[in-house]
Amino acid sequence: MQDAIVVDGLSKRFRRHGTQPARTLKDLLLGRNMRRSEYFWGLRDVSFSVAQGRTVGFIGPNGAGKSTLMRLVGGVGLPNSGKVRTVGRIGALLDLGSGLHHDLTGRENIFVGGIIAGMTRAEVARRFDAIVDFAELEAFIDSPLRTYSTGMQMRLAFAVAAHIDPQILLIDEVLAVGDLAFKQKCLERIKKFKAQGCTIVLVSHESSQVRQLCDEVIWLRNGTVNAHGPTELVLNQYITEMQDETRRRTPTQAPTMRLPMGTELRLNQNRFGSLETQIEAVQLLSRRGYEVIEIDSGDALQVVIAYNALQAVEAPIASVSISRPDGSICYDTNTAMAGQTLPTGAGPGQTVLQIERLDLAGGEYFVNVGLHERNWAYTYDYHWHTYPLRIVGGPGGEGVLCPPQQWSLEARREAQLSAEVAGQ
Amino acid sequence: MHILPQKGDAIASRPLPIAAQLIYARDLLRELVSRDMKIRYKRSVLGIAWTMINPLMQILIFTFLFNRVLPLNIPHYTVFVFCGVLAWNWFQASLYLAAGGITENRDLVRRPGFPVAVLPVVTVATNMLHFLLSLPILLVCVLIDGLPLSPAVAAFPLVLLVQFGLTLGLAYLIAATHVFFRDVQHILSIGLSLLFYLTPIFYTADRVPAEYQQLYLLNPMAQLVSAYRAIFLQGIWPDGGALLGVAIFAVAMFALGYTIFVRASYRFVEEL
Repeated sequence: MQDAIVVDGLSKRFRRHGTQPARTLKDLLLGRNMRRSEYFWGLRDVSFSVAQGRTVGFIGPNGAGKSTLMRLVGGVGLPNSGKVRTVGRIGALLDLGSGLHHDLTGRENIFVGGIIAGMTRAEVARRFDAIVDFAELEAFIDSPLRTYSTGMQMRLAFAVAAHIDPQILLIDEVLAVGDLAFKQKCLERIKKFKAQGCTIVLVSHESSQVRQLCDEVIWLRNGTVNAHGPTELVLNQYITEMQDETRRRTPTQAPTMRLPMGTELRLNQNRFGSLETQIEAVQLLSRRGYEVIEIDSGDALQVVIAYNALQAVEAPIASVSISRPDGSICYDTNTAMAGQTLPTGAGPGQTVLQIERLDLAGGEYFVNVGLHERNWAYTYDYHWHTYPLRIVGGPGGEGVLCPPQQWSLEARREAQLSAEVAGQ
Repeated sequence: MHILPQKGDAIASRPLPIAAQLIYARDLLRELVSRDMKIRYKRSVLGIAWTMINPLMQILIFTFLFNRVLPLNIPHYTVFVFCGVLAWNWFQASLYLAAGGITENRDLVRRPGFPVAVLPVVTVATNMLHFLLSLPILLVCVLIDGLPLSPAVAAFPLVLLVQFGLTLGLAYLIAATHVFFRDVQHILSIGLSLLFYLTPIFYTADRVPAEYQQLYLLNPMAQLVSAYRAIFLQGIWPDGGALLGVAIFAVAMFALGYTIFVRASYRFVEEL
């Protein structure tokens, strides 16, 4: 497969903001500030390539260079060194409103916007009805844009951008706009581009979007490529590191808590987080609702998490994982995966995870629970290797899983026999 | 000062076929010019009529001033001053608007694939359109004054083209430098008002003392205004030699302005 985007040794240097305001002639004449500017590297020796038809996501914290890289790939600006080579017509879903004018009607804006986006007049005219239809703005198309709501304006802008016919599509945080239904429509549209073989570069802070759309992920940190690989792998690595961020936010002074079972909760040893919301008690219950520390392989398990939000937190995520004493994770789930969040606000609360069958092999395990910021930015409270769980039964051996199983030793001989009979 | 990028940094990408590019450039120019025209007169009662009212008012004032208050005794003064005002307004407005043309279109400049070099062309073309829209009134004045329309009118598009090239070259230069030095706008407004008086708009060039004549005629706008007057007022072919000189200057100006603009354009994004 041919590469659609090749980035080779790309570096970009910026002047640090604030050290030098907009230059004036006076500064120039006085020779002031002309050489003493401070610079920093927005991107440093970035190399990667994207094969045609692949969707790649740029992730990383703010200021890591995602948007700069995106624009350089789009041919905006000049790198200090390195090269960008792209093959095919580039379409961009960045700064959606650019080129639109409030005093022009929706119709006029579609033409201006479409041509600015790279279509010829004839192409816009041909797609005009489809654009209006997509934006769901038939009734308002001849009203000036200033009478539109923000949501309607974004819909118009996205609809125009979605009807270009690019071979490479650059998307920067534009899926954060509009109502839920329209957002879904935009996602569908992007998936359609993908299906048509369009190469897509996506910048998003929502890991669920990255997971949903991207084949591979480039993780940028301080202007360099920290990791480039399959989405799941790199994204999980990134999320883990964001959790390390939690470690740094953890208050240094916090009382050690003794749990009913005698285990102590010590910060930064088996407890992590900012403690804005605290996990007060964790109970492991059997199918019948008794508190247990031991279950049979294949039995049901309920994890009850009682927590208390000391200050109002917005829609936190609850997570539960089961790990072995060596730290390897056997099972990992959270409310965000299920599309749920805990209620916003302060005060006590409780959440229960119901596992119908826990088909783990016999042995010692720990149940780990956590509460996290709604975007996984950091963790409020996380209890690691604190709640032991023994699983009884199941096969020995190296494995972790013990699903319902059966060896059928006769099957092949019977099948062979019947085949022989049929052959005669 | 390092406006110019170092060599060897070129961004390579496979271009579209030339024909497709030309069609696109035409459509883009047309749509952006029509956007500018629409925006300027949207929500104003008189709308596009303002295009004609503005120069008409100027001409009225000049005519009263230099026919009655300070009589210059120039025959067909209305047509005389009309030619000067129209050509000058096109020149002046283009350069004024070109200065802000990049800084005020930040979102377009930051857009992948948008040809930034089209912006000054849009500015100059939009203002040429204003010129052309006022032209019928000039022709009416010519007819009222009983002046003949000679075949020299055929030279008009050529003069127009020369002025377009000259203005565009300067517009590129001004647009690019204004991004880096915001003083350009102020320097420009002083420079333009100076040049206004150094151009024979409301007076005739021959009133300039002989010892300054040579220097005075180095002003390309002076030559262009004379060329318009030759066509509409005197009904004769414009001075070919002078026009050729201005044309060569315009081509050089355009080449210089465009080169500097393109080199600087890579750094617009950072400066906006």
